[in-house]
Amino acid sequence: MNQQLKWAYNTFSGSFYNTLITFLSLVIFGFIASNLFGFISTSEWAVVSANKRLLLVGRLPQGEEWRAWSILWISSFLIFSSLKIFVKPSIKELIFITIIFASVCFIFITQDAIFNVIIFSTLSLSSYLFAKYISQTPYITIFRKLLAFMWLTIIPLIFLILLIEDGPKPTLWGGFLLNIILAGVAISVGFPLGLLFALGRASQLPAVKIVCTIYIETIRGAPLVGWLLLAWFVLPKFLPEFWNLNETSVVIRAMIILSAFTSAYTAEVIRGGLQSIPKGQIEAADSLNLNLFTKLTLIVLPQAIRVVIPALISTFIAVFKDTSLVFVLALTDLLQVGRIIPEQDPEFFGKALEALSVVAFLFWIVSMALSNLSTRVERSMGIGTR
Amino acid sequence: MDIFIDKLSKLSRSQRNRNLFYQLLFLILVGFFANYLISKAMQLELTLSHFESRSGFGISHTFLKDYTSNDSRWSAYFTGVINTIRVSLVAIILATLLGTIMGVARLSKNVLFSTIAYLYVELVRNTPLLIQIIFWQIIFLKLPRITEALTFGSTVVVSNRGILLPYAKPNEDVNSNIFVIVLLFITIISFALSYYLNKKEDIDGKKLKIQNYNINGSLAGTFVFLILSVSTYFILQRPFVLDLPSLYQNSKGTYLQSGGFEFTPEFGAILFALVIYTGTFITEIVRGSIQSLSKGQTEAAQSLGLSNYQSMTLIILPQALRSIIPPLTNQFLNLTKNSSLSVVIAYPELFMVSRTIMNNSGRALPVFFLILFTYLSLSLIISLFMNFINRRVTRIGA
Repeated sequence: MNQQLKWAYNTFSGSFYNTLITFLSLVIFGFIASNLFGFISTSEWAVVSANKRLLLVGRLPQGEEWRAWSILWISSFLIFSSLKIFVKPSIKELIFITIIFASVCFIFITQDAIFNVIIFSTLSLSSYLFAKYISQTPYITIFRKLLAFMWLTIIPLIFLILLIEDGPKPTLWGGFLLNIILAGVAISVGFPLGLLFALGRASQLPAVKIVCTIYIETIRGAPLVGWLLLAWFVLPKFLPEFWNLNETSVVIRAMIILSAFTSAYTAEVIRGGLQSIPKGQIEAADSLNLNLFTKLTLIVLPQAIRVVIPALISTFIAVFKDTSLVFVLALTDLLQVGRIIPEQDPEFFGKALEALSVVAFLFWIVSMALSNLSTRVERSMGIGTR
Repeated sequence: MDIFIDKLSKLSRSQRNRNLFYQLLFLILVGFFANYLISKAMQLELTLSHFESRSGFGISHTFLKDYTSNDSRWSAYFTGVINTIRVSLVAIILATLLGTIMGVARLSKNVLFSTIAYLYVELVRNTPLLIQIIFWQIIFLKLPRITEALTFGSTVVVSNRGILLPYAKPNEDVNSNIFVIVLLFITIISFALSYYLNKKEDIDGKKLKIQNYNINGSLAGTFVFLILSVSTYFILQRPFVLDLPSLYQNSKGTYLQSGGFEFTPEFGAILFALVIYTGTFITEIVRGSIQSLSKGQTEAAQSLGLSNYQSMTLIILPQALRSIIPPLTNQFLNLTKNSSLSVVIAYPELFMVSRTIMNNSGRALPVFFLILFTYLSLSLIISLFMNFINRRVTRIGA
């Protein structure tokens, strides 16, 4: 008891400045808590509950929702089985995940969707349990490979589901679905491209090096909204005329710009990893007479990427957050829906904070999950502690 | 033919020749692509000649520069550039302060303090900046309306049209530019003086003495600065006077506000959002750098009997600064580019003005190149400045 008192005294008081800091912290806590309480006690959530559909899928026509639901089912299977197989969360993390999961379900459950949400939650739970069961059997290696393969093909699969049987036009995609698709495409196209540009910039051939450097620095030079504006005004004039490519929808243009942007930023991150490789590794590979391709895939890249995985994931988080900038292209992503409803629907005037907080919550969950993943990877690899 | 192939195979055996060949191939491919892009671009209007004509739109925030809708587009563009620099500069300074405080707080042994820093980082970093800009705009618009404006004496007026603060305004009878120039000179002189005195003290290894009084270099510099600036102020017959904000009703009963420094909701929203968002990243940079220092440094400081504050400011932060500055530069560049997001709340900075010009003129490509060029120049200036500081910091004791 005496020891605890001593600890408390040293932590919260002890010196004049520390007491002052404790006092200030209490004031800040009190200020935030009272404002938060005031907001929660006066808030009305009708603006969200009446517009769940718009927030999630935007203007996707009625009767096409099965596409969004099946994407959700497939990804829930993937996420929850990979959670068990690759991440192996602790009990504390599992509880946190469950709370987040339940609150998301609670926000978006409606009369029509109740059946789908039940399928979704059973599927998530059963895939987690299935993965838990299979990890004790010898089939685990095959299952791992299957999961990895599915992660690689998830983006084409989502496109297939969205476009099969006369799917709705891409301009009708919206809401959170659009953010996920844009971020997925930007990352899965931008990462391999970025790898190439990083290798090009680290190359010893001056011509390749200069061209790659110019590309990376130009893209990084202007803000993303600037590039998106360029896509809005002039990109169609630069696309070739065959297959009517110059009349592609705004969504495709946004994907092109986001991918180019991601590639430049990942290239810079990977370059950092390439620079961290000791010269002896490359000399050793040369003395084994490995050719360029083998040297890169077996010696250089595994070491380089391993070091920069946390930085890569934070780049991906940034890209995911940046998908909210497609308002420049007049696309209705999650944030735009959340902004437009309280402005245009007279029923919900003055409810902007409620809508905005739900939008922020959804963005926060995904980014938070990814950044937790990055901390785990960092810890499991012992980066920074070696 | 055989001789030719023989020669070729001999040539290809040299690594240098093969490299040349690959580069040539690569350049030809890039050349085709560039040629395609240029041929498409040539079909568009590429000159900036339309920037000479009348802009035709008003800009709500003008700073240091007069602008009306009758001025040229160049004038509008420069107003935008000044607005970008203004918000970025203030945000960079404040974000660095906030980030440093929070970075130290995250490692504080005071649990309350470190929890605040932890929650701040985790909540703010993981939501898009755009959401935060809109959030602060909503908050600023929730301030009382101008009919019920809060006034603190006649010094500060707070309403949802903005916050008015006391400000110095040039006295119309006197030429105030001379004062600014003289003040600049005085600043340089007093800095030089304190630098010289401190240096002399370091070299001599003892305090300077004038008639048994110890002279401290920094103190002497400050003293000289105060004496000189106050006396010039009165010699030049008060070139600047205090400008207090006022709130009044005109003959029709409409409330109007005038005077003072106007802190508008748009400027406030973008400033708060940029500072608080970038502050999280700086927090993490500062924390990482402090943690990367060996624990022996803190322990050595403690064993010398330094207080926490002293060990932080004298031992830890100066060393951490070396590894802080390169990633910090990156965050400053990001902040400057992120200021373009204020287009969403209509703060007329570079990007918003350029977008209006694009819409009005229909010539998007040259305007885009101008945007690209401007941001690249701003980035270059920041990088050069930070590199200068970095060189100074790393040189000490390195």
